[in-house]
Amino acid sequence: MKVVLNICRFDPEVDKESYFQKFDVEVEGHQTVLDALLCAREQDSSLSFRRSCRSAICGSCAIWLDFRPVLACHTLIKDVAIAPGSITVEPLPHFRQLKDLVVDLEPLFESLKAIVPWVVTRRDHNGLMAPEKARVMESASTCILCGICDAVMETGGVVKPAAAVKGIRLAVDPRDAVGEARRRLLDLPPELLALFIKRLPPICPKSIRLPDIS
Amino acid sequence: MQNHDVLIVGGGLAGLMAALSCSERTDVAVLSKIYPTRSHSGAAQGGFNSALSEDDSVESHIFDTVKGSDYLGDQDAVEVLCSEGPGTILELERMGVPWSRNSDGRVAQRSLGGAGFPRACFAADLSGHVVLHTLFEQALRRGVKIYPEWHLIQLLVEEGELVGVLAYDLRHAQLEVIRTKVVILATGGYGRVYAKTTNAHANTGDGMAIAYRAGVVLSDMEFVQFHPTTLYGTNILISEAARGEGGYLRNVNGERFMGDYAPQKMELAPRDVVSRSIFREIKEGRGFNGQYVHLDLTHLEKELIEERLPQVRDLALCYAGVDLVTTPIPIEPAQHYSMGGVRVDTWGVTSLPGLLAAGEVANVSVHGANRLGGNSLLETVVFGHRAGKKADALVQERGWPAISATMIARAKAEWQNLCSGDSAAEGSVYSIRREMNELMTAFVGVFRVGEELTQAVDRLKELQELYTRLKPSFRVQAYNYAVMEYLETGYLLELGEIITKGALRRTESRGAHFRLDYPQRDDVDWLCHTFVSKGKDGPQFSAGPVSITRYPPKERGY
Repeated sequence: MKVVLNICRFDPEVDKESYFQKFDVEVEGHQTVLDALLCAREQDSSLSFRRSCRSAICGSCAIWLDFRPVLACHTLIKDVAIAPGSITVEPLPHFRQLKDLVVDLEPLFESLKAIVPWVVTRRDHNGLMAPEKARVMESASTCILCGICDAVMETGGVVKPAAAVKGIRLAVDPRDAVGEARRRLLDLPPELLALFIKRLPPICPKSIRLPDIS
Repeated sequence: MQNHDVLIVGGGLAGLMAALSCSERTDVAVLSKIYPTRSHSGAAQGGFNSALSEDDSVESHIFDTVKGSDYLGDQDAVEVLCSEGPGTILELERMGVPWSRNSDGRVAQRSLGGAGFPRACFAADLSGHVVLHTLFEQALRRGVKIYPEWHLIQLLVEEGELVGVLAYDLRHAQLEVIRTKVVILATGGYGRVYAKTTNAHANTGDGMAIAYRAGVVLSDMEFVQFHPTTLYGTNILISEAARGEGGYLRNVNGERFMGDYAPQKMELAPRDVVSRSIFREIKEGRGFNGQYVHLDLTHLEKELIEERLPQVRDLALCYAGVDLVTTPIPIEPAQHYSMGGVRVDTWGVTSLPGLLAAGEVANVSVHGANRLGGNSLLETVVFGHRAGKKADALVQERGWPAISATMIARAKAEWQNLCSGDSAAEGSVYSIRREMNELMTAFVGVFRVGEELTQAVDRLKELQELYTRLKPSFRVQAYNYAVMEYLETGYLLELGEIITKGALRRTESRGAHFRLDYPQRDDVDWLCHTFVSKGKDGPQFSAGPVSITRYPPKERGY
């Protein structure tokens, strides 16, 4: 089917501001928005966007599609366009646009530091963990650091959403010596934490369901 | 110019493990063409093999691996892989990997192909992802310097020794020189040589090709693993764990056809056996639409699938439109892993002083002619760790190399020359790459035959000539993927030629390399590795000995 992609272009070296460029591509309904972007790139190889795994595990291809944030590789054309369709592709909001659909992700990785993003293993940890305890961490551990939650949500506190996800994942890890202090590192009152946990799954490409640690 | 004691190229499992294994005193940096957590290690699903259980043994793991390798694995290296497995898994556990657990609290283990015991340590079906992110967390803790979105362009060699690297900072569109005492290549595989591959777009064999161009010896390039179960069409990986948890392969008649090919191991025979079996079924008319077979999990408990195979279920739902709880999924084999690579010893030492390599980019060889599921993830952390330790030792031994101004000027001039051609022929890069991909999948796949391999060699040569005549011009701009894709196409063409010529040269069938015109294994002439290095007129091949310490080659049946 024919699809028109309106893609946000911006080259800081030459453009004063961003603009939209139309691309006519031919893709199958069961193909993805990433497949469509790759077709567009063949027409104009100066188009920049991040991509790698094409199977929603690396987190590279987060974009703003029409009116919501998605992983381009996880979004089927038939779900966003009716032939002849037209979709608008922009970079993730709230991140600095570096070139076309590529944004500055340094703040995403920097923000992790606020919650001490590693397990501080207790000296007395014996290598075992009850399966019920392991299961509590599972969903949060599926985070692929795609940046979508940071782009469209606030936690209501200083800690950013992706950092909060990791902070919570670490807070429920029985091996971690930081213990109760992890809850304080999140710097969120219980009501805001509860709200964050509730609002996350529909926005998150991995539909992460966080355990309530308030 | 930047300086680091150790520069690791590649931020996946092997690269990060190597970084963490260097001593705190070593100044180590990681250069990665993508942010480390984007590495394809994260797409690995099944598990990390390790003989942890009292009912299992390192010995048994060694034997399974050697037999799985069709006796081409270097047994001294396999001994290292398997004996260091348990310690490495426990170390990962201490770092905080969220493993799935048994009721007794121990790390859960599942069966993968070719194994005599369920020994693949897993985290649902996200095993690579969770360990990658845990190692990344530890790298943050260590304050490892990372150069994200920097592409390796060249290994700088002066008087036969590695002195540093030339790299391209994608964000700032700048060529940079990094002087270093030791480089560890951890750049992964070359899946994108093939049209049908599970591999990410980033897997273009950069490190392997660049090492080869610097004169480094590669080994066993003709051994390419085709994973039996990838989604028909997209070739997205469906983990071997799906079969490990009890899934069946069925042909159009609903039969579990693996009974005809591997009556004992059935669906859990090694990958080369299963891939050939699937293609035989399709070729003999028992496939669906002449294209694929079914992977059937409908007889498994829904709760088991939700617990052990959640990602696999999501992938089938999104990309094949099928809920595997109720419906079988369409499956075809596709390229997945490179057994071949930069030839190394068990400490990651290559033929170039100052250069180490670990992970999929390397050939130790622990996998020989065919890799068992669960052994590559293990390889990344065991040999990544060893490469880190070796790098430390070398840093003490080696003085700071000198990089001459002439060398830098020459490298920069080459780059300029590359980017300032006179034709706007970038579009042709895509058609050259596409044709190479189709050619490799058609002629250098699961079943190979002399005439087709020869045809492929000839056409690849023509494609290479077309490529060198392209002379595109590139604007200097941030995130110039066009120039990167142009370079990557060059790497793939070079590696494609080596793989195909290696396949043509090896006139026997062993492991994943199957010749219709030489269908038997030949231990008289071919119980040897295929070494290759770049000569004036192209790849120069020679034979290398296989280390056989415990298990002389026997007939390999499953």
